Amino acid sequence: MDKILKDKKAIFIFIAPALLMFVLVLIVPICQMLYYSLCDYAALTPPKFVGLANYKKLFLKDSTFRIALKNSIFFMLFSAVSQQIVGLGLAVFLTNIPKGRNLFKNIYYLPCVLSSAALGLLWAFMFNPKIGINALLAKFGIQGPLWLMDTKGFIILPMWVIAFVALWQYAGQNMMLYMAQITGISRDIYEASYIDGASRAKAFRYITLPLIKPMMITSLSLNCIGSLKFFDLIYNMTQGGPNHRTEVLATELYAEGFNYFKYGYASAISVVLLVMCLVVTLVIKRIIKVENYEG
Amino acid sequence: MKKKLLSVLLSTAMVAGMFAAVPMTASAEGDVEEITWMFWDDLEATEDLISKGYADVINRFNETYDGQYHVTPITTNLEEYDGKLNALIAAGQTPDCFICNPGPNMDVYVNAQAAAPLTDILENQEKEWYDGFTDGIFERMTYDGEIYAVPTNFAAALCFYNTEIFDEVGVEVPTTYDELLDVCQKIKDAGYTPISCSAGTAWCLSMVAGYLCDRQGVDLAAIASHEANWTDENCVEAGTKLKELSQYFQETAAGDSNDQATAGFYNGEAAMLIQGSWAIAQINGNNPDFESKCGVFQFPAIEGANDPNRMIVKTDNLLMSSTTEHQDAVIALMKMFTDETAQKYTAEVGGKIPIIKDIDIDYDAAPAQLKYVTDILANATGTFGFYNESLASVEAGDCFDNAMVDIFLGNQTPEEAFQTVQTFYEDNVWE
Amino acid sequence: MGKNKTIKKPVSPIIVILYIVLALLVVIYVAPLLWMLCVSLKDNAAVMSDPFGLPKVLHPENYAQAWTMGKLGAALLNSALVCGVSLAVSLFFGSMAAFAIARMKWKLSEAAHTFFLIGMMVPVHCILIPLFVRFANLGLTNSRFGLMIPYITFSLPMTIFLMTGFFKSMPGELFESAAIDGCGIYGFFFKIAFPLARTGFFVSGLMTFVGNWNELLLAMVFISDPMKKTLPVTLTYFVGPYATNYVQMFAAIIIAIAPTVVVYCMFSNQIVEGLTAGAVKG
Repeated sequence: MDKILKDKKAIFIFIAPALLMFVLVLIVPICQMLYYSLCDYAALTPPKFVGLANYKKLFLKDSTFRIALKNSIFFMLFSAVSQQIVGLGLAVFLTNIPKGRNLFKNIYYLPCVLSSAALGLLWAFMFNPKIGINALLAKFGIQGPLWLMDTKGFIILPMWVIAFVALWQYAGQNMMLYMAQITGISRDIYEASYIDGASRAKAFRYITLPLIKPMMITSLSLNCIGSLKFFDLIYNMTQGGPNHRTEVLATELYAEGFNYFKYGYASAISVVLLVMCLVVTLVIKRIIKVENYEG
Repeated sequence: MKKKLLSVLLSTAMVAGMFAAVPMTASAEGDVEEITWMFWDDLEATEDLISKGYADVINRFNETYDGQYHVTPITTNLEEYDGKLNALIAAGQTPDCFICNPGPNMDVYVNAQAAAPLTDILENQEKEWYDGFTDGIFERMTYDGEIYAVPTNFAAALCFYNTEIFDEVGVEVPTTYDELLDVCQKIKDAGYTPISCSAGTAWCLSMVAGYLCDRQGVDLAAIASHEANWTDENCVEAGTKLKELSQYFQETAAGDSNDQATAGFYNGEAAMLIQGSWAIAQINGNNPDFESKCGVFQFPAIEGANDPNRMIVKTDNLLMSSTTEHQDAVIALMKMFTDETAQKYTAEVGGKIPIIKDIDIDYDAAPAQLKYVTDILANATGTFGFYNESLASVEAGDCFDNAMVDIFLGNQTPEEAFQTVQTFYEDNVWE
Repeated sequence: MGKNKTIKKPVSPIIVILYIVLALLVVIYVAPLLWMLCVSLKDNAAVMSDPFGLPKVLHPENYAQAWTMGKLGAALLNSALVCGVSLAVSLFFGSMAAFAIARMKWKLSEAAHTFFLIGMMVPVHCILIPLFVRFANLGLTNSRFGLMIPYITFSLPMTIFLMTGFFKSMPGELFESAAIDGCGIYGFFFKIAFPLARTGFFVSGLMTFVGNWNELLLAMVFISDPMKKTLPVTLTYFVGPYATNYVQMFAAIIIAIAPTVVVYCMFSNQIVEGLTAGAVKG
């Protein structure tokens, strides 16, 4: 058995195609990106090595970067927590209802398969002060806030709006992942526990939760990475405005790179983003320990 | 079984992919010179009248030069335009001819030597063509004495007004800023929105700010060379006036997009709209009845300050790739963009202003507003660019726009907002 | 599995409340999409003046116009081809790598897992230009094949990540008994892991397919020929420099969404089947 699983040649054959594509298409450009982040590089003129100047400016001078960092972290924490809870909740609810499971699941998952760009336009329309939700509220004599332009508070209203739209769109993804895992748990275990007098809540706590732990790492990592890289919705709803207050790291690096042609600087932001993603994934792995199934 | 199925699927897919990879060989036949032209709007799906005019030019070019030249347009939407153009340039696939905004955007392509200088061609080989252009039009396309672009049209920013509302309220066209405030107050009292403006689309607000700055005597050249500062009194005063004027904007100005602000005007909700003359086509297209009641006046003067006859104008420009092998074809294309047929269309249908002299515009066929615009322009003593396209870099322009939005939203006082721009210049421009 | 039906539970009030909550959620989920459908049947002036009303005059011609102007027919085919091939290849390559990482014993398996994971963290915007320059030198730009390669590669991390999880959760006894029956490593993969991981394939397939189907930036930059453009690119046609044609844009969006929804409904029922099959393990 072990001999079969240690077959070097087979490992190579299995890994090689993916690895090859990965290195050529991703790793090489990433290395270039690392180098560019140390350069003054204006896209069309050759890069000039400047050492850590980009990073210095980023951390010491750039107030937009500070806003973007704050928003990104907020967005990640909010998304991770809210999408986990809502996603897991929906999954548990749906596995426990007798009828209509498929219908509900399909509907909740639907926004995940739609393009964020299109949904961004749709929601920007909805939160437009004149023709959107505010027009509806006005019919009841309520004056709605400037959903996407209000700038008061530490985390400004537009960020909350965007975070909730993201929750709306992506909660289905976690639901799906958890459902896949929960449905995989044998009914027998539950039935045995019910016979032993366990309540549904107890069954959830002592059977479901431990058994979906591996999926928790998966979905939590996906949530965190996804929300750190988050771009489409924000770009289409606020474009980072008003005055860069809804900028996150991904939109800021887009603006620096594509609007202002500062590729070197944009590369430095992506390196920061990359490092954050890595750190978060490692932290998640550390926190949620999983027993090895191999036995 | 599964394995077989999958491998069959894979191999067919791969083969299909290979076929797809075979490059287009349309230009292989004969010695037709194939060129590309890059533009920021799709030529078929567009509703924009100027874009439609460009589509006509492209068709006309391919017909006229059938068998000799052929142009293929490469289109993106406006937002992805620079990204794609830069990628093409970086990969050495610069389109033979491409459109570009004036100001810092053009600077980038000129400085990167992606654009070819045209002075020699214009002054020596194509003298007649060169002489046909409106005087002074090449000013913003000249770098160190070399012309790098050819304009296709220009637009001016003006105040459009609803003559019906003005008559009903009993007010006259304001000529000074104080009169403007007075008119606004009366219109507001009569229950209309005085001015429709968009702060959701920052450059719309910034255009008003640009006018106020210029009327206050802000000198961009002096600021660029640090002989003047953004924190000078005239800037701050312009900011204060912007805040003052903004109380007469529609309630939802903060979030409205450009489309919506314009719609508010042609739907008769607002009495005035400060916009570029491209809005004419949009106004008349969406509400044809509005043409007869739409008047135009120039942005009012600020008494005791700068020359009130200066206008904000903006050109669309064509650049030629510095690496093109088909110069003649590109020049022929540029000439077609600026010939009488195209320019007449620009004016009569597109509502923008031609860039050549000696052209017979049929003002009866053209939108009524065009005549007013032309008349106002005839009295203009000077022009200047949109502020966001006249500053040191695209980023500087955005910084200015955002500062104006912050003043409008009340997040910053005019002093604070201009201090932000000042700091940006200290950190990035004046170093 | 037949046991499920033998135990009948009375309908508890909790279940009723659950249904009400779920139904309310359905409204939140469906209303915006229905609204979009509604807008796509109006004209632009009506959208501005009465955004929430039902269309007074139906404008189904928006769809016809969007279809011809956006060249949606060609775009649909292109998207289907590019995304279909990318899906098949990335699932195949991805699951191979995932299998080696999850089940085979070698020192670097954990490292390889993390290594592939990095791919998920890279913002596309930042490697766009180097990538484009390299592909242009190879003559792979402006071709559907050239677009497939990055799509496959960007799908790999997600596929590997999810499939590793699914392969890992397979009971080891299955492989042991197969080994006793004389099954080799390739047999493990194709005869045991492959069929049992159907759920995994559906989940990761769905996720990567959707990602590629909606991908705009690479498609926009890589493809110049209008006949090779993919759907998301053509959707941007309706956003003009000064004005947006909302009704046609929404009509086009709905046309673009339709196949995803159909494919998705097919897939999602498959997932349930796959789940039932996968539950063998318990």
